[in-house]
Amino acid sequence: MHHHPHHYAPAVPNHHNPSFASAMNPARNLRAEASYQQQQQQQQQQQRTSSYPGDRGGPIQYQSKVRVTDKYKVIGFISSGTYGRVYKAHGRHGQPGEFAIKKFKPDKEGEQITYTGISQSAVREMALCSELNHANVIKLIEIILEDKCIFMVFEYAEHDLLQIIHHHTQQPRHPIPPNTIKSIMFQLLNGCQYLHTNWVLHRDLKPANIMVTSSGEVKIGDLGLARLFYKPLHSLFSGDKVVVTIWYRAPELLLGSRHYTPAIDMWAVGCIFAELLSLRPIFKGEEAKMDSKKTVPFQRNQMQKIVDVMGLPTKERWPLLTSMPEYSQLPSLSPPLGGGHGGHHGHHGYGSHHHQSHHGRGGNSAAASVSHLEKWYYNTINQQISSTAQANGASSLSVLGAQGYNLLAGLLEYDPEKRLTAANALQHPFFAESPDPINANCFAGVKMEYPHRRVSQDDNDIRTGSLPGTKRSGLPDDSLRPGKRVKEN
Amino acid sequence: MASNFWESTQRRYWQFTKDELAAMRQKLEDEDPNLVQMYPLPQLRHINIYLNQQFNRLAKRLGVRQQALATAQVYLKRFYTRVEIRRTNPYLLVATALYLACKMEECPQHIRLIVQEARGLWPETFHGQDTSKLGECEFFLISEMSSQLIVHQPYRTLTQLQGEFNLTPEESQAAWQAINDHYMTDLPLLYPPHIIGLTAILLAITCYNRQNTAGGANAAGNSGGLVMAANALAHAQAQSQARAAAMGGNSGPGTPNLTPQGSFAGGNFSSQGGRELGDGTNPSDPKIAKMQRFTKWLAESNIDIEGMIDCTQEIISFYDCHEQYEDLVVRDNIKRFIKARGLDK
Repeated sequence: MHHHPHHYAPAVPNHHNPSFASAMNPARNLRAEASYQQQQQQQQQQQRTSSYPGDRGGPIQYQSKVRVTDKYKVIGFISSGTYGRVYKAHGRHGQPGEFAIKKFKPDKEGEQITYTGISQSAVREMALCSELNHANVIKLIEIILEDKCIFMVFEYAEHDLLQIIHHHTQQPRHPIPPNTIKSIMFQLLNGCQYLHTNWVLHRDLKPANIMVTSSGEVKIGDLGLARLFYKPLHSLFSGDKVVVTIWYRAPELLLGSRHYTPAIDMWAVGCIFAELLSLRPIFKGEEAKMDSKKTVPFQRNQMQKIVDVMGLPTKERWPLLTSMPEYSQLPSLSPPLGGGHGGHHGHHGYGSHHHQSHHGRGGNSAAASVSHLEKWYYNTINQQISSTAQANGASSLSVLGAQGYNLLAGLLEYDPEKRLTAANALQHPFFAESPDPINANCFAGVKMEYPHRRVSQDDNDIRTGSLPGTKRSGLPDDSLRPGKRVKEN
Repeated sequence: MASNFWESTQRRYWQFTKDELAAMRQKLEDEDPNLVQMYPLPQLRHINIYLNQQFNRLAKRLGVRQQALATAQVYLKRFYTRVEIRRTNPYLLVATALYLACKMEECPQHIRLIVQEARGLWPETFHGQDTSKLGECEFFLISEMSSQLIVHQPYRTLTQLQGEFNLTPEESQAAWQAINDHYMTDLPLLYPPHIIGLTAILLAITCYNRQNTAGGANAAGNSGGLVMAANALAHAQAQSQARAAAMGGNSGPGTPNLTPQGSFAGGNFSSQGGRELGDGTNPSDPKIAKMQRFTKWLAESNIDIEGMIDCTQEIISFYDCHEQYEDLVVRDNIKRFIKARGLDK
């Protein structure tokens, strides 16, 4: 039989670890949620039947059937970006849990707000979030369209990886517990696998977008840049500018590829893994701004940061390298200096060398392409822990051992074709080593408690609010920033 | 899920039985019987033909891809299961659905351009609309669709399987055309996209290439092709049941035993057609071979053959009803309630 009956069968999310999978789907809240949903449906039906009160003809004026402030009590303001603002809220009608409400700002600030059409990225985020349903992807509760604004109501997550990493850099600097790192990575990969098997590319994975609930569940958040990639007609080539915050941007994007693949997300996951280990971004480059002609510049500094650790890419390791649009820029990059951490040597090669000048490095090239990642890894996991940190119960990362390096190298593979996929990475021996099974609570065994997300009381009025997005108004697009290194707000 | 049809909001929330669909529509009419009485409308399929034409005209002006056009039509269908058409300006809804679908299908159009083109196209009924009206209507549309904007289309099935079945370019074109046409029926709200896609392939193999006409309307007259389609499905069903029986199971619920005669409304299918696919087939006819290959594939694939039979029937009966379609009647009926209710303002 050539044709499988399940040709159209669902791509069932493949949980590689059943005990983990079951732990990820606690049944405890199910009943409460079910009865709440029933209640909600009844309400909606009532509202529906009484839709157009006093319709005597004339154009229908759009009015939301649900009002956000009737249903939710805003507790405070969490963060803002160019898209709008995020608030923390509680349900007014006994809805279980806490909520993060993302309010998209209306197009025109000030004066009178009019309908101007919803931005394409908001449409994408609304559409994708409505379909997604996985323990490791932040859950959309509902979308309310009211008063010319879009309110997306999500489950609330107390922490995010940026916050957690930041906490560990506080004196005394102490590594994230190895089992926490393992659980975070497994959950992150599990969420990625779900997205990728469903043809969704996140395109902006970075620590600030990876949420963690107080019960240690990792949730991929902020799908504002996510896209479907199954429509080969157009989606593989991005209509919009290069995305992914520069520090997490894959080398093929830096070298001019416009081809979006899941491998781009996987590079970012590799960068996040490295950052969980060392508590600082592994490739902390500076973004070259777009010039006046709006041509996208070669991100030389970022590429150099990668080369400093990984060595120069070669066509032996990455056969399609030579067909990359920015291939000719490569010789102008400096080979890594003897290894060690990237970033010790200043701005060599940065703008000063013409791209022809290093052509024919000749005998040098073998050394130039040697990767120092392994050295980086062992330096990082074997770092001494201060006695104060030790006294506080900090443990060494050295238990992560060789498989940790192996996984990291598989994710930070130059050739996108050879880079680990989410599904492969979940099968990696790194996750088969102790502890087995991987804990679905990444905080299991962690004694201290991470600081809670700061919620400001300055702006509690979600309806009128102070002008949305004003705090970062100088920036073209928050998502393109190389991430904030301080806590939100 | 986004690409997984079985988990999708389309399957969970936007696929209905015919009874459910009828009940929803009845409920909308019952909410205001006066309105319905005051502004009679032609049958829904005729309204759909008219709106399809309007979609096509606007899309052509803007150079919009077929995929976005298809999504827009599904949006409108969903919307009108929730909102009585006489309360709306259908022209505004057409423009808005297209605007939204273009964003969703990654070929965005500027809102101003859409409004400008729509004004040019429908001077009488669209003149009072502007970008803010269209933006407001977008909120209305998204809200009624519960923000469920990802639509799975049968085109994907066709592109995936046209190689499998060795479709000629003409057959592919005909199947593509049949998919385009099905947006004028209720099928997008009744069946999964792959059932529709396979039905389109079946129709293309059996009906279209004999007369070699691009348009679908002629297919209805081609009863020889229809006989073939009917028999192919019956044959596939029998094979599938035989397989199930051989494997020790019974055919189970959901695989009713349909005869070709009973399965089509027309009932004009002779048993002679059946023999075409029987053991005494003429293997030298490449079309028969193609048909056999398709039938075999169906029988082995657990495809909802009963659904395909119904889809075939719906499309054929749609082509019949297309022949009674009168453009002006629909246009005037719609214009009447728009003007009388001030929906163009």
